[in-house]
Amino acid sequence: MEFGAVFRSLTFPQIFNFNKKPAEEEEEEEDEDLSDSEDSVFSGLEDSGSDSEDEEEEGSNDKEDGDDEGLKTGPEESEQVEFYVCVSRVFRVQLFSDVVVPVQDIRNTVGNIPMEWYRDFPHIGYDLDGKKIYKPIRNKDELDEFLDKMENPDYWRTVHDKQTGSDIVLSDEQVELVNRLQRGQFGDVNFNEYQPQVEFFSGDLMVHPVSNRPADKRSFIPSLIEKEKVSKLVHAIKMGWIKPRRQDDDSRGRYYDLWTNEDSSILAKHRMHLPAPKIPLPGHHESYNPPPEYLFTDEERALWEQQDLSDRKFPFVPQRFSSLRQVPAFPRFIHERFERCLDLYLCPRQRKMRVNVNPEDLIPKLPKPKDLQPFPTTQSLVYRGHSGLVRSISVSPSGQWLASGSDDGSVRFWEVRSSRCMKTVQVGGAVRSVAWNPNPSVCLLAVALDSVVLILSPSLADRQVVSSSERLLSGQQEEEPAEGVGPVTWSEGEGEELNQGIRLKIQHPKAVHQVAWHAKGDYLASVMPDHSSHLQVFIHQVSRRRSQNPFRKNKGLVQCVSFHPVRPYFFVATQRSVRIYNLVKQEMTKKLQANSKWISSMAVHPGGDHVVCGSYDCRLSWFDLDLSTKPYKMLRHHKKAVRGVAYHRLYPLFASASDDGSVIVCHGTVYNDLLQNPLIVPVKVLRGHVITHDLGVLDVTFHPTQPWIFSSGSDATIRLFT
Amino acid sequence: MSQLQARFFTENKRYVVDDVPFSIPAGAEVLDLSNVINKLLEAKNASHSKVEFDFLVRGQFLRTSLSTHMETEGISTEDVVEIEYVERITAPEPEECMMHDDWISSVDADAEWILTGSYDKTARIWSVEGKAVMTVAGHTDVVKDVAWVKRDGLTSLLLTASLDQTVLLWEWNSERNKVKARHCCRGHTGSVDTVATDPTGSKVKGGCSRDDYNLFPALSVPTDEADEVEEPADRPRKKQKTQQLGLTRTPLMTLSGHNEAVSSVLWCDSEELCSASWDHTIRVWDVETGGMKTTLTGSKVFNCISYSPLCRRLASGSTDRHIRLWDPRTKDGSLVLLSLTSHTGWVTAVKWAPSHEHQLVSGSLDNLVKLWDTRSCKAPLYDLAAHEDKVFCVDWTESGLMLSGGADNKLYTYRYSACQTDAGA
Repeated sequence: MEFGAVFRSLTFPQIFNFNKKPAEEEEEEEDEDLSDSEDSVFSGLEDSGSDSEDEEEEGSNDKEDGDDEGLKTGPEESEQVEFYVCVSRVFRVQLFSDVVVPVQDIRNTVGNIPMEWYRDFPHIGYDLDGKKIYKPIRNKDELDEFLDKMENPDYWRTVHDKQTGSDIVLSDEQVELVNRLQRGQFGDVNFNEYQPQVEFFSGDLMVHPVSNRPADKRSFIPSLIEKEKVSKLVHAIKMGWIKPRRQDDDSRGRYYDLWTNEDSSILAKHRMHLPAPKIPLPGHHESYNPPPEYLFTDEERALWEQQDLSDRKFPFVPQRFSSLRQVPAFPRFIHERFERCLDLYLCPRQRKMRVNVNPEDLIPKLPKPKDLQPFPTTQSLVYRGHSGLVRSISVSPSGQWLASGSDDGSVRFWEVRSSRCMKTVQVGGAVRSVAWNPNPSVCLLAVALDSVVLILSPSLADRQVVSSSERLLSGQQEEEPAEGVGPVTWSEGEGEELNQGIRLKIQHPKAVHQVAWHAKGDYLASVMPDHSSHLQVFIHQVSRRRSQNPFRKNKGLVQCVSFHPVRPYFFVATQRSVRIYNLVKQEMTKKLQANSKWISSMAVHPGGDHVVCGSYDCRLSWFDLDLSTKPYKMLRHHKKAVRGVAYHRLYPLFASASDDGSVIVCHGTVYNDLLQNPLIVPVKVLRGHVITHDLGVLDVTFHPTQPWIFSSGSDATIRLFT
Repeated sequence: MSQLQARFFTENKRYVVDDVPFSIPAGAEVLDLSNVINKLLEAKNASHSKVEFDFLVRGQFLRTSLSTHMETEGISTEDVVEIEYVERITAPEPEECMMHDDWISSVDADAEWILTGSYDKTARIWSVEGKAVMTVAGHTDVVKDVAWVKRDGLTSLLLTASLDQTVLLWEWNSERNKVKARHCCRGHTGSVDTVATDPTGSKVKGGCSRDDYNLFPALSVPTDEADEVEEPADRPRKKQKTQQLGLTRTPLMTLSGHNEAVSSVLWCDSEELCSASWDHTIRVWDVETGGMKTTLTGSKVFNCISYSPLCRRLASGSTDRHIRLWDPRTKDGSLVLLSLTSHTGWVTAVKWAPSHEHQLVSGSLDNLVKLWDTRSCKAPLYDLAAHEDKVFCVDWTESGLMLSGGADNKLYTYRYSACQTDAGA
C-alpha cells in the first residue's frame, strides 16, 4: 500500500497503466475487444512463427517454462503471450503481445489448464465459435529439431505455445522486454525509478499544516456511545450483575509453601551442622613472588622465630622466587596433612552456644549513691602548715584532734573543727607513721621516724586523761632492765623533749615504717620491712615496756600490720598476701591471697571480719574472712598506686587514697547474716590534692564519729571532706 | 497581660499612700515600683524626699519582675495584688577593722564594748569605735568563747571559756580599766567551746566538746552556769562542791544527753536553755529540773545556733552549708521551717538581729558574712566579703552594729542603720 501511495503521487501515465493493468487484464479476459487499445505500450512484440515454438521453449529457463505453461490464455490468432514476472511482491505484470493476424482468431478457450489433458486428442481446444482447434500437423522430428537448432538463427528466440501448439519467434523488442524483466527492471525503458524524493513527513516543523482539514468534532466531544456503554456497566455493577473477578482460591493448592510443613526432625538433624569457618583469601604474602614490603626484615624474622607458634601472624615466612618454576616442593607436606587430619580428629564435635546477653544486665544492680548517704562529698577544710609531704595522719578517738606526720620532721596537732594547728612537735626526722592511741582514756600518739618510735603525750585532753596516760607510761619502769638486752631499747624523753611531750623513745635496729595500736591501747606494733631478716615486726607493751618479736621466720617483706579490733588476731600484710595470726595460740590461722603484685596498705573492718587491701598496682581488694581467702571483690577505680585505705568506725564507709590525687569513698555495708555478701558501692571521688613529685594522696583516715574523711597529700596539706 | 492591679500598703506611718488599687505594668521591677511610691508620696507631701523602697508580695521580697515573681510563687494575676513596701535596707557599711594577734574565735558586743576571744589565749575588750581597751589574759589555752554577763555602772562581769577546760569569770572596771578574775569554773573534762549567760545574768553555761552540761554555782554573782563536755566516768565527781579556794566553782547541774561535742549553747528564756551538738541534735532543756524538753534532729553536724525572741525561732548553721530555721516549741522535733542556702562552706556562726524579726547574719568558712532576711530565702540580702579567711564568729548589737571575726585576725564592724527604721515593722 505504501508503495502504491508513493507511486500514486508520481503522476506518470505509464505507472498508472501499470497500476491499472491487473484490473484491465481481468476485463480483457472477459472481453477481448478491449485488448487492442491496450497494446500500445508493448507494441514491440512481434508475432512469431508457430514453427519454432517448441525449440524456443527448450532454450528458456525452466521457471519461465512452467509459467508459460500455466498462463497461456490468449486466443490463437492474436498470439498473445503473457509473462508473469514478479516485479515486486505486490505486482504481477502480465505481458502479452498482440499482433494482428489477418487470417483468423485462433484463441483457445480451454483456459488455464494443463495441456497434457489434450495430449491424446487431435485438438487442443476450442475457439470462440466452439469449434475444435486442431493440433498443427507435427512434421518435425528430432532430426528436424536438431537441424532447426543448428541452422535457424532465431531458434533461441522461438518459444512454443502449448495452447496453440505453434512456435512463436520473439521480436527484438520482446526479447529486450524479457531481459529487462529478468533483470528486475521496469518494462518501460523511459521510466526513471530513481526520482528525487520529496520528504513530506519529516521531523522538521512546518509552518503550515500538511492538510487544511479542521479537527474532527468527535475529537473534542465525549463520545455518547462510550458514555452509554459506561453507564450500562456502572448500572450492572450497581445491580450486582457484574462481580469482580473471583479470586481463584486454591484450597487444595496448585501452589503451596514447600517449607511450612518441613519436618522438624530434619531441621533438628541439621542444627548440629557446623559450617566450616571461612578462610581468608590468600594475600600477597602468600605469593611465590611477593612485593618486597611483604618480605620479612631481619627483625621481623627474628621476632617470628621467637614467637610462640600460636602467636605468629603467619605460619610461614614469605619467600621470594623469581619464577614459579623455582618454587621447591613443600617440605612439610606430610606433616601438614597429618596436622590437618589431627585437627579434624580432635575437633570438638560440640556446638558452642553463644549466649546473647544484654550488656546492661551484666551490670550489677547497685543502689544509687544518693540513697547511701551520709558520705563525704565536699572539701570543707584545708589544714595548711606542713612544709613537706604529709605521710601519715591520725584522728584522736574523740574526733577533736588530728595528728599528722610529715617529711619536714614535724608532728602537728590540729583542731579538727577550725583547722587550727594547736601544736607542733619537731622530732627531727621524716615521720613515716603516726597513730593515735585508740583508748579514749589515754591521750597518746605513737610516731615512727627513722628507727625510733616515739610515744607523744600531746596534753590536749582532760587533765585526768593526761594523768592516766602518764600513769600508763611510767607504770612498769622497774622491769625495764630485764628487757634491756633485746634488740629494742626503751628510753625516756629528756629535757626539751619532755616539754614537747615526747615521753618514750623506742629504739629499733632498723627503720620503722609503720606503727599500729591495739584497740585496748596498751600494745603497739611496729614494722621494719626487711628482706633478709626475721626481725620485721615488733610488738611492744607500753605499760610494761616490753618488746617482742613474734615471728621467727621471714615470710616475705612485711608491708603493714594491724590488730584485730576485738579478738586476739594479728594481721600481717606482706607483698602478696595477708597472714592472720592468732596471738593466743601462737599460730597462723589464715592466709589471704591478694591477687595483686605489691600490697601497700591494709585496713581491718571494725567488725573484724573484713579486710581491705590497697596495692601499688591500683587495686583494692576486699576480703571477707568468712567467705574465702581470695578477695571477695576487686576494685580497680584508681589510675595509680593505692597508698592508703581506711574503714569508718561507725558508718558503712571505706576509702582509698591513691597517687592519682583522688580519694575514692565506697559504701560497704556488712551484714550480720552470713549468707548475705557485703554490699560495696563506690559513691564518691574526692579530688583536691595536687600531685607533686608524682605522689598524690598518701594517707587517708575517717573521723571517728562523723562521716568525714581526712586525707593527707604530697602537697603538704591535709584536707577534710564532709 | 501587661497590666496588673496592685494595692500598696505599709506599716510605716510616714510613708502611707492611699489605699486604692493601681494599675501597674506587669514587668515592673523594684525600682519602678519604688518610683511609683515616691511619686505618690510627693503628690501627697511636697516636702517628701526620695526614699528607696523594697516590696513584699505575700511576705516574699520582690527580687525579679513582678510577673515573674508571681508566676514562680503561684499567685493569681487576676486579683488585686497586695504589695507591702518597706524602706529599703541599705547595705551595711564597714566601719572598723580591729587587728588581733591571732585568730578570733568569738565575739560578744553590747552597746558600748566589744569582747573578743582569740586563739592567742587572751580575751580583749574594745570600744565600739575600735579602740583596744583591755586585754584579759589568764587562760592557759585558746579562748574559745566569751560573753558579757552583766553591767552595773562601770563594773562589768564577763566570762571567758577556754580550751584549758575552765571558764573564768572576770570583773572589769571600765573607769579604772582593771580586770580581776573572780571565779574559775571547773568541771569540764574537755575544752569549753561555748558559754552563755541567762538573760538575767545570773547563770552561766558552757558547752564543751563532751557529753554533758554543768551548771556552775557562782557565789558573789547569783549563779554562773556552764555546760560542758565531760567524760561519763567523771560525771559523779562533778557534783562535788569543792570550794576550797573560794574562787573555784563546780557545776550546779550537769545536763547529760548529747553523744558528742556540744558546739553551741544559749538561753531561750530564763527557764529554758538550748544546745546544739555534733551528734546532729538540738536539745532544749529545762533548767529547773535539768531534764530534756525537746530534741530537734537534723542530719548534719550543728555548728551554731541562735534564738530570736522576736520571732521565736531557732536558726542553726551546720556543716552542710545550710542555715535552717526551727521552731523549738514543736514537740515532735525535726521540723525545719526554712532553709537558707547560699554559703559554700560550713556555716560557723549565725546571729539573729536583736531588733528585727526577719533578719539574721551568718558567717561561714567560705570567708563570707551574709545578711539574710527570712522573707527572701532564695538569696541573701547582702554578702559582706571583707574577710580573707574563715569567719568564725558574728554578732549583732542592739545599736545596729554587726561584727564578724575570723582566721584573718581581723574583727570587722559594720554599721547597719536601716534596721532601726524597720524596727517597728
